[in-house]
Amino acid sequence: MASVLSDVIKREGQRPTESFSQSKLEASLVAACLSVRSPIGQAESIAKNVCKKVIEWLESKPEVTSRDLRLVAGRHLEAHHPDAAYLYQQHRVTL
Amino acid sequence: MDIPTSLAIVAFAALLHASFQLSVSVLTLLSSHSIGSKRPLKNLLSLTTSFVIGAAVMTLLLLSFVALVVISVYETEVPLVVWAVACGLLSGVGIAVWIFYYRREQGTSLWLPRGTARFLSDRTKATTHPAEAFSLGLTSVIAELLFIIAPLLVSALVLVELPALWQLIGIAVYTVIASLSLIIVWVLIGSGHALSGIQKWRESNKRFLQFAAGSGLLILGIFVYVSKVLSTAVGGM
Repeated sequence: MASVLSDVIKREGQRPTESFSQSKLEASLVAACLSVRSPIGQAESIAKNVCKKVIEWLESKPEVTSRDLRLVAGRHLEAHHPDAAYLYQQHRVTL
Repeated sequence: MDIPTSLAIVAFAALLHASFQLSVSVLTLLSSHSIGSKRPLKNLLSLTTSFVIGAAVMTLLLLSFVALVVISVYETEVPLVVWAVACGLLSGVGIAVWIFYYRREQGTSLWLPRGTARFLSDRTKATTHPAEAFSLGLTSVIAELLFIIAPLLVSALVLVELPALWQLIGIAVYTVIASLSLIIVWVLIGSGHALSGIQKWRESNKRFLQFAAGSGLLILGIFVYVSKVLSTAVGGM
């Protein structure tokens, strides 16, 4: 898989910009799947598939916001596990 | 006011306290992080149990503290003007709940300033030890003080006029009922229910909860005003 060099603008610029990290995105997707009690193997496989789609989307973009990243990842996750996608999208709007 | 009426007021005030959702939101997030980070079920249970105990302890301490302040200032004869202020506070908070308890956006975002919400969210994510979860429970109740102060104050005013034993019973009743929503979520999480189901229920019923809590506060304010302030003032003429 080609490496992605996009920068992620965090919390609308309130926190320092970071380079995109595939492992971080994968970990957050695995956590969302595990939160709805998916087996670990299924969670990791879903996270990998969703990550692939997000990286395809990222390839033409030098800069994205963490909000957009979460939105796109959530949309792809919905196709695999709607409950996990719901929790993933709700994470920032629970409190 | 007789003992059954006093206890009914305390129980209703506690029910309104239970309808506020900040602690439930934090408990949902705490469980989500704990399950998502592959920690064993035992760890999830110890964190959520400590959180619920922390929130219950802070509720008990706050009610006892407010009652102590009332007793220290007025002893057991609270002036009618204080009752009237408490009723006004209930009505004001009721209207505030109607207007801005939930933000007008997707999810269950509350009125909290975004910085505070982020702080609580980050603290929740960093919580791995039961002692931290206990403190988080304490903090989540304090963070909601702006809204729970009205039911707490009215309960304290009612409680200080009761005999000592009934005061203790009243405090216990308030604490248990005010913690009911947390206890229900704790039982659901512990028994393996999906967090997404709990969060979906909360999101789809948030407007009803908001309306019910606001209306309940107004009704309690009017009831206490009529049964305590008006009846005493008119009876005393």
